[in-house]
Amino acid sequence: MKKRNFLIAFLVIVAGAYTGYKYLYKSHRNIEAEVALLKVEAKQLVAMLLSDNSQGILNKTVEVTGIITEIENQSITLDEAIQCTFSQLPKGLELNKKVTIKGRCIGYDDLFELAKLDQCSLTNYL
Amino acid sequence: MIKYVYIPFFLFVVSLWAQEKYSTKNGIIVFEASVPSFEEVKAKNENVSAILNADTGEFASLVLINGFRFKVALMEEHFNENYMESSKFPKAVVKGTLENFSFSEINTEKREFKLKGTITIHGVTKPLETVMALYKSGDSVKLTSKFDLQPSDFNIEIPKIVKNKIAEKVTITVQYSLLK
Repeated sequence: MKKRNFLIAFLVIVAGAYTGYKYLYKSHRNIEAEVALLKVEAKQLVAMLLSDNSQGILNKTVEVTGIITEIENQSITLDEAIQCTFSQLPKGLELNKKVTIKGRCIGYDDLFELAKLDQCSLTNYL
Repeated sequence: MIKYVYIPFFLFVVSLWAQEKYSTKNGIIVFEASVPSFEEVKAKNENVSAILNADTGEFASLVLINGFRFKVALMEEHFNENYMESSKFPKAVVKGTLENFSFSEINTEKREFKLKGTITIHGVTKPLETVMALYKSGDSVKLTSKFDLQPSDFNIEIPKIVKNKIAEKVTITVQYSLLK
């Protein structure tokens, strides 16, 4: 009997420690695998970020479509309105091509007047 | 009559020349508030914007709080939701002027300038004085800086339960590669 109680207590502790560990060290979001909250044109997202209810888009996964107006080391700019940063830039991107990018919206940059997305992935190359 | 035609032209040329700006959209800011023997409290943002006016030494930088990435996902969540309240205060801004700045003095060797300005974090604006080191590397101007901030100065409350795991002084390291 005593042995059984001990075993149950042991199992509870192990299960508790495991859940605790899982909670503390849960994995990062996988933006590429998430379903986008909204799918819009680049300029539309900027308009939404500048409106009063911009809080609803921050930190959310979005899909934006636009024409590539700038290519940098780690990022591209769509319609001179959104800067999309990748961990690694996809191959074959060209200026003036229309693309759809999925990423996490981190906010609006007043200095450059650009919206910014990070952890981007290319979903469509038109 | 002729000289009136020249004035606008002259002004146009001057204003072009006066707009010597160096900027980046991909600057790096790392902050660390680790306490020895506890979990590392460190985050990196590689999407920082900055503009330096090469004629006047005026400097501005903007960082989106949501863009800070931590090793531990839960720490990132708490940082945004509980401490920085990034949905309410999505950005931090530094604005200021590099004192005695002269662009011609910048070459491949590091030169230090004092920045005097303001820093806004969590909706609170405070004066900021720090040293920025500048040097040329190819086409770009590299700018680096390091300074300490205290969360309590910006109304950022650290709950008692984690207080001993987060350093009172947060060290901020800035690294920009500015292009014309």
